Amino acid sequence: MSFDFLWQGMGVALLPQNLLIGLIGCFLGTIIGCLPAIGPINGIALLLPIAYTSGLPAESALILLAAVYYGAEYGGRISSILLNVPGDAGAVMTAVDGYPMARRGEAAKALAISGISSFYGGMIAVIAMTFLAVPLSWLAIKFGPAEYFVLMVFAFATLGSMVGHEPVKTLLGCVLGLMLTTIGLDATSGAYRFTFDQPELHDGIEFIILVIGLFSISEVLLMLESQVKGTLKPLAVTGSYPSWSEIRTIWWPSVRATVIGFVIGVLPGTGASVASAVSYTTEKRLSDKDGTFGKGDIRGLAAPEAANNAAATGAFVPMLTLGVPGSGTTAVMLGALMLYNIQPGPQLFVEQPKLVGGLIASMYIGNILLLIMNLPMVQVFARMLLMPNWILIPGITALSILGVYTAYSSVMSVLIMFGIGIIGYLLRKLGFDMAPIVLGFVLGKVMEVNFRNALALSGGEFGIFFSSTLSIILWIMAVAIVVVPIWLRRRQAARAAAA
Amino acid sequence: MSDLAQRQRRIGRIAAGVLMAFAVFYGFFGLTIEYSFSSDPIGPRGFPAGLAVVLFALGAWYWLVPGSTEEWPEQEGRIAALTFLVVSAACVLAMDWIGFVPAMLVLMTAIARLFGANWTLALVNGAGQALLWWLMFGPLLGGTLPKGPLGF
Repeated sequence: MSFDFLWQGMGVALLPQNLLIGLIGCFLGTIIGCLPAIGPINGIALLLPIAYTSGLPAESALILLAAVYYGAEYGGRISSILLNVPGDAGAVMTAVDGYPMARRGEAAKALAISGISSFYGGMIAVIAMTFLAVPLSWLAIKFGPAEYFVLMVFAFATLGSMVGHEPVKTLLGCVLGLMLTTIGLDATSGAYRFTFDQPELHDGIEFIILVIGLFSISEVLLMLESQVKGTLKPLAVTGSYPSWSEIRTIWWPSVRATVIGFVIGVLPGTGASVASAVSYTTEKRLSDKDGTFGKGDIRGLAAPEAANNAAATGAFVPMLTLGVPGSGTTAVMLGALMLYNIQPGPQLFVEQPKLVGGLIASMYIGNILLLIMNLPMVQVFARMLLMPNWILIPGITALSILGVYTAYSSVMSVLIMFGIGIIGYLLRKLGFDMAPIVLGFVLGKVMEVNFRNALALSGGEFGIFFSSTLSIILWIMAVAIVVVPIWLRRRQAARAAAA
Repeated sequence: MSDLAQRQRRIGRIAAGVLMAFAVFYGFFGLTIEYSFSSDPIGPRGFPAGLAVVLFALGAWYWLVPGSTEEWPEQEGRIAALTFLVVSAACVLAMDWIGFVPAMLVLMTAIARLFGANWTLALVNGAGQALLWWLMFGPLLGGTLPKGPLGF
């Protein structure tokens, strides 16, 4: 394959006009991403008509929208790390280790780690996309319902790492998350499940409502309890950036997470939330020897961040090569391509080298711009935490309400969010972790739909789940991820006993 | 066994009981889902029924091994949490009638009071945040926020 498109693209992306557009896009994206539920998809949808009507050429419009996309991917981390309010679905796992870091005064470091690992993930993924876009697009085609189901089994297998000293609570959390996905219209049969004739429940529980309720509202309730007890103290914010050794420490977790994130991103319909969840649990399984994950471990922060950005980049692969969007955001970008009468497909790299090359080149440049722009800004963002609680916590509540209301224009959705917040608070008091609930929710719908679609295709034959090489590889990986750590632990114990 | 451990055990068992009861409720409604056709052999009832069984079994496990819970709030804490929830729900419900800014003014002021601000600071914070969020999510980002008789 010739890489002429990349050289032509560099010429396009490095034009001063396009550099400026990329910079504006990164900045706007960061701001948009900070606001819960606005997220990249709405940001792009807002800017698309402006880009089109202002007469921007197609490559400049795509550069703008792509810059907003990865700017928002980074921006979503800010509220997640500082306030425990995930800006979008992919930022949920970021809060697991990012928020504890902020609580112990390392907000600036957490934001910087997030920026650096996002940079690692974004850059490695763009390089992979440059060289592997067309071959990888065939992987996306090979994934049928059976393979998707086995992929979800693999994802659940990685959850074994989330099991703490009370495994029953982790498993219960997963099942509760899975149950929430069954609310609403069943796409396969058209039946309404657990809606109790409430129109607001017809579309099911929206992810953002669940996440804001579980994380943000329950957190406010916990803070209120501490306030009453007199134990809620203003946070300290140390100005430290990560050290070189910490930057080196996050390199391999970021690389591993990038590989996972990029491959999952390439698969249409899975997205950044699955990528960040799987990469976090995999990293926890591999690296959490001291039980520091979930308590502010930089590797636990870096892995989902790198995976998230890699998945965002990977989602462009099926969009550009097959015309199949890998995520909601790339679906809007596909609309942008069609607005300019451009038909995506394998020939796009040959027919529109300037456009594709410009887009890919802008990702290289955008990742660098984002890092340069955001590293100095982390101090400013971190200082938000120095606000007194009587300003900060009403702000968190307002953002939570607005995040849900602006997304769904429904008072009932906001009330459901508060209801979920109460349940989240009670579960947290009972010692449940919120992450397994979210992971069950993220993986559940994809799992059920593909399980049933596969059985519909096979006429009820369960053999379909073992019928392709890809499925078998995924089964082996799923079994290995459960069995190998147990075997290694036993071998270590046996050696220790022998010594 | 200490009083605290016994209390935690009791609370854990109550939670396990609630979860098992929920599993029965969920399973019952899952098995009565109405549908006219399904292209797959499992149908819309299969997955919920399976989950109900798993939840019940895990609930039973939890009942046997309730584990530990965190300390629960005293009466003052419960009243504060209830105040927060009632005021939040009332303001959210009132948003469509009285408008976004007045509803947020009340809510932001109330939360600021709960977090230790005096009345003056709480009111200034309430008014400032209500206007800030309205400006940002309304005119600036083009979102649709509830309009009361005053138009905001």
